[in-house]
Parts: sequence; C-alpha cells; structure tokens
Amino acid sequence: MTTARALAPPPPLAGRLLDAQLHLLDRQVMDNDGVPVTTVDDLELSGPALDVELAPGTPAPVLTALLTGPVLGTRIFGGRPPSSRLVRIPWEDVAEVGVVLKLGVGGGNLDATWVERWIRDKIIARIPGGRHDPR
Amino acid sequence: MILGDLLGVPVYNDGGTRLGRVADARFVVDGAPRQLLAEARLLGLVVSPHSASSFLGYERTELRQPWPLPALLRWRHRGSFLVLWEDVAMIGGQGVRLREGFTAYSPALERSVQE
Repeated sequence: MTTARALAPPPPLAGRLLDAQLHLLDRQVMDNDGVPVTTVDDLELSGPALDVELAPGTPAPVLTALLTGPVLGTRIFGGRPPSSRLVRIPWEDVAEVGVVLKLGVGGGNLDATWVERWIRDKIIARIPGGRHDPR
Repeated sequence: MILGDLLGVPVYNDGGTRLGRVADARFVVDGAPRQLLAEARLLGLVVSPHSASSFLGYERTELRQPWPLPALLRWRHRGSFLVLWEDVAMIGGQGVRLREGFTAYSPALERSVQE
C-alpha cells in the first residue's frame, strides 16, 4: 500500500458526495433565520449492528441525525459521552450543506439550544432591564 | 451507530492483513427524498494506511496551495483508498473487515463537489 498506484475512480453517482470529516463534522449549524444553533459534534447512522457479519446486499445505512452535546471533555481526553447524553438534530431538518449547515426549521425549539433558553429565562431575565431590548 | 465510533478503527482484509484505518466516511445524498434534502446513504469508507484521520482532505482534492502543506499532507495520506459499502463484510468496535476481492477506488472527490 505504500507505493503510489493509480486507482480507478468510483462509479459515477447522481447525488452529491459528502465526506463526513470534510463537509459535516465540526461545521457550524444555522437555523432558518441564520441564527447559530450549534456545531456538528458527531453523526448518527441507521446501522449496522456492530460485530455482525453483513450479508451481501445489505442496504447501506443512512444518516439519521446530527449529534451535539457536552463533548468538550471527551475531545480533550478521548472517548465520547454516552449516546443518551447527545442531542440529536434529525437529518430531515437539514436544508443545505455548505460552509455551514443550514436547517429548515427555527432553532428556538430545538433541544440543542436549551442552554441558551435556560440562561435567558433564569439568569438574564432577572437582571434589571433584562426583559426588554436595549434602548 | 455513532459515526465517531467508526472513524479511526483499523481496517483488515478478509485474510486479516491490516490495510490502514478509517479516515472518513463518504455519503451520497441520493436516498429517499425528504422535505428538504434526500436521505444521505453511506457510500463507503476512506481508508488511510498511515494516519488515523485526515487533515483537511488534501489527498482528496486538487488543491496545491499553500505550499508546502498540500504536498506534505498528501504524502502523509499516500495510499489512501475508498472502499464501497458493498465490499464491507463486518463493522466492529475493534476493526472493519472487508470482503474477499474488494475493490479499492480512488478517494478523490469530483471537482464540482469540493468545498
């Protein structure tokens, strides 16, 4: 494998190609108003089961969700948080993949933005003047 | 499954010879149509013999600048190849095994899809 060799290109496909590391992971996610929501920390696939022999003709797994969550510690020290701790943004909500990922839904109701909502309601709102726009 | 568990695991052929590690997973957006984007199905895995991950994917694009980074990174990922989903026999936590007689394709991305 160390010698350079000419490899054939894969069969042409109609759909757009997305490499997970190049085009998806760590990209910023914007909602439909252009407000930043989160970044893509990981991706969830519909399969396959681990350590199970795949029969020929097994349908390829599809992307089901973008994952985000408390990954700072595991980014530094390795591993990943348990699956139950990760917040999912369904792939159906993704409208466009470019320099950033754009969602086709508003970010206000997504689980991924609950920290912002909590800080707004519990902390910012209690600061005098925190309940209205600055004048 | 979670993709992060798959990236970086060793890849073996059917005889148990180590070929490299999973550097990336390639998807193609041509599945069942949805309201916004179609389903993205796993097309295959990019396997790199020398590195566990891919940095900026220079080995998959035609970019030559800024010198000398592309040349260095391309050398670091020399021998990378794309193996299609049909040639994957088993995915496990400790490794990915390919089918007998799998085909290694060029990992290069078409110019039109480069970001």
